[in-house]
Amino acid sequence: MALFGKGSKGIAAVDVPPAMDAERAARLGYTHDNKLSKHAFMEGEHPVVRIEHLNKTFDGQTQVLRDVNLNVWNGEIVVVLGPSGSGKSTMLRCINLLETPTAGHILIEDEEITGRKPKDVALIRRELGMVFQGFNLFPHLTALENVMIGQTKVLKKSKEEARAEAVKQLTAVGLADRMDYKPPQLSGGQQQRVAIARAVAMHPKVLLFDEPTSALDPELVRDVLNVMKDLALHGDMTMIVVTHEMGFARDVADRVVFMEGGVVVEQGLPEDVFDRPKNVRTAQFLGSIE
Amino acid sequence: MSRFRRGHVVARSCLFVALLLAAALLMPSEAYALTTNKATARPNENGGSNVIGGLATRLTWEGTVEDGESVSSVTLVLPEGGTFAGSSTKITALDGLDRAAVDGFATANDNQLVVVFSQPVDEGLLIRLEVEGMAFPSEGGDVVVSGTYENASGTQQLADSKPISTIANTSLQMLVATLDEMEAVQAWNSNPFLGMFFKPQLLVTAFSSLLPGWLLCLVIVVVAYPFAIALGLVFAFMKISRHRLVRAIAIVYINVLRGTPLFLQIYIMFFGLPMMNVNIDNNVLGVIVIAINASAYLAEIFRAGIQSIPQGQYEAASSLGMSYFQTMFNIILPQTIRRVIPTVTSDFITSYKDTSLLSSVGVMELMMFAKNLTSVSGNMTPYVAAAIFYLIVTLPLIKVVTYIENRMAHAERGGGPRPKAGERSAVEEAASDDLAAAELSTHFEGLGEGQLAPVPVFARMAQEV
Ligand SMILES: Nc1ncnc2c1ncn2[C@@H]1O[C@H](COP(=O)(O)OP(=O)(O)OP(=O)(O)O)[C@@H](O)[C@H]1O
Ligand SMILES: [Mg+2]
Repeated sequence: MALFGKGSKGIAAVDVPPAMDAERAARLGYTHDNKLSKHAFMEGEHPVVRIEHLNKTFDGQTQVLRDVNLNVWNGEIVVVLGPSGSGKSTMLRCINLLETPTAGHILIEDEEITGRKPKDVALIRRELGMVFQGFNLFPHLTALENVMIGQTKVLKKSKEEARAEAVKQLTAVGLADRMDYKPPQLSGGQQQRVAIARAVAMHPKVLLFDEPTSALDPELVRDVLNVMKDLALHGDMTMIVVTHEMGFARDVADRVVFMEGGVVVEQGLPEDVFDRPKNVRTAQFLGSIE
Repeated sequence: MSRFRRGHVVARSCLFVALLLAAALLMPSEAYALTTNKATARPNENGGSNVIGGLATRLTWEGTVEDGESVSSVTLVLPEGGTFAGSSTKITALDGLDRAAVDGFATANDNQLVVVFSQPVDEGLLIRLEVEGMAFPSEGGDVVVSGTYENASGTQQLADSKPISTIANTSLQMLVATLDEMEAVQAWNSNPFLGMFFKPQLLVTAFSSLLPGWLLCLVIVVVAYPFAIALGLVFAFMKISRHRLVRAIAIVYINVLRGTPLFLQIYIMFFGLPMMNVNIDNNVLGVIVIAINASAYLAEIFRAGIQSIPQGQYEAASSLGMSYFQTMFNIILPQTIRRVIPTVTSDFITSYKDTSLLSSVGVMELMMFAKNLTSVSGNMTPYVAAAIFYLIVTLPLIKVVTYIENRMAHAERGGGPRPKAGERSAVEEAASDDLAAAELSTHFEGLGEGQLAPVPVFARMAQEV
């Protein structure tokens, strides 16, 4: 599809410079993010995730991401906000290589992940945990097996090791008594907590959350958010969270990123973005939400 | 000394054999004053053409009185176990085509029947004895009717009849005989419908004689099905392959097999292969045809099953770092199998019934036996028996399908009481009972995906003969 679209539909190929060298990127990234994030920067620290000039066009005509640039640092909690259709999910899915970027670079720990062979892609993905809006638990497996299967099949851990880890993670999300339940027997909130445990058990470098609570009934949202807060505050997990939960963003985020129309419109400390938005669109969006 | 004695013995046995030979040569068949023409028995198998031992039947014996002779009595003897007790004998004498007046009476005496004529039967006449209600030995086998007769010069040995082949009387045949006797059964059979379709005697007979055909049906389909499943999976994967050529091959295979009658496929295989000098055992060929035919349907079922698994499952698996094959074998196929079990079971039922078409090319399966028995008995009951044999397998399987479908629907609803959140998706899922909706739901990430939705049953086209 893209083959036909690019030329014939007249979408200009985005001119993207090659990925910067790691040192320069780290320096530039630090200078840019320093005042925008609560993250405690360390001397000479390199970002875990580096997104440079990311572009994504669907079907050769719908440009969903336009030159997105973003660094995410080790242990940082980044919350991505934005109206529906602004490309938040697409950005997350690009980081996870569930979508192939049309142009630009994504680097994980200074290693380019874009344009890789399928075999490498599988290796890269195990470093990136993803929690989906729709949970996507494996319905034929129990909660425990859901958390174990990635460990045994991908990380090649022994059953015992995997089980011990799964028990640990399920206990951490408050589901010690539901480990032998299958997903259809669990509430949405419980399912999402299993999904978080499943992702965390892989000990990924970065955890990606795509609106983890928006498919849930209001009374179940809190449990999931608490689990995420717990992870954010007590773990050393790096998280990119797409959500509409403003409370969560305010309390937990190190940095809030506001996207619209495939562009990062504004980013900064949560209190800055929420209370003193610089961009009109951000203000409008937050106004319409709160 | 011992050597001398042995020689003596040898000489004496030689002499004995020589005498026997001479006796045989001196006694040619023309020496009989009464020649045995024939001895036959009326079949007494219900719905069959066999003569069953131990059950009443009619023996017809004929002999000709030779020139210059006259016969005053005939005694027929059955082997041990045969009986004339309770029989009635009709005596006829024929002169060419004319009936000659002959009178006499018969005395049944266990395995001997003595017929004494009022006047001696003259030369050239054919004596026919029709003994109604006699029975051959129960153990069955070739039975020879022997006996004696009396002429002017006294009692003579009767030449042995040609052997009458009989079959052993089993408990089944005794049951049929008992049924024959029962008044209720006779009344039942006097109803034209019941007698034509549900004749108890034939039902009993049919069950035993259709059994091997039924077993062959089962063997054919049970052996064919695993191959069909394996082939079906292969073609299902081919049909969703990324390579156009591979996909095209699968599409042609599936569409040709699904688009033509099985009957035609059977004819092509059974008549075509021998013409190419490929000779395969009929039963094996039957297995092959059924397996190939079913594989096309199964391929479609599997393909639809695989594609009905929400995209989110692939995404979740691959975001854990699973490869395509790991995703397929650990995540997608286990769910597919669960989903397609009812449909595959329905398809198994169809294949099982389809084995009946093999009767048209001489595979000795259930229908073949039923057809044969019906043409011998002129009664529809064997077909009813065949129907029962088919139903023995299909009805429980249909029940199993319903049970699994209900259980899946139940599991989809959460398998019991559960918090409110799940119910919403269950309701939406209930509405999305077909593939289009299943595909749609993958776009609405998460709403009810991961729930088991039964794959719609792809009704096979009726494959009529
Ligand atoms: N596979 C696809 N093919 C074509 N267009 C797509 C595809 N996926 C997403 N889009 C389009 O890209 C745009 C951005 O979608 P995306 O899901 O990233 O938005 P979002 O910010 O996550 O919105 P939401 O808050 O509703 O989840 C939308 O207009 C959507 O229609
Ligand atoms: Mg989204």
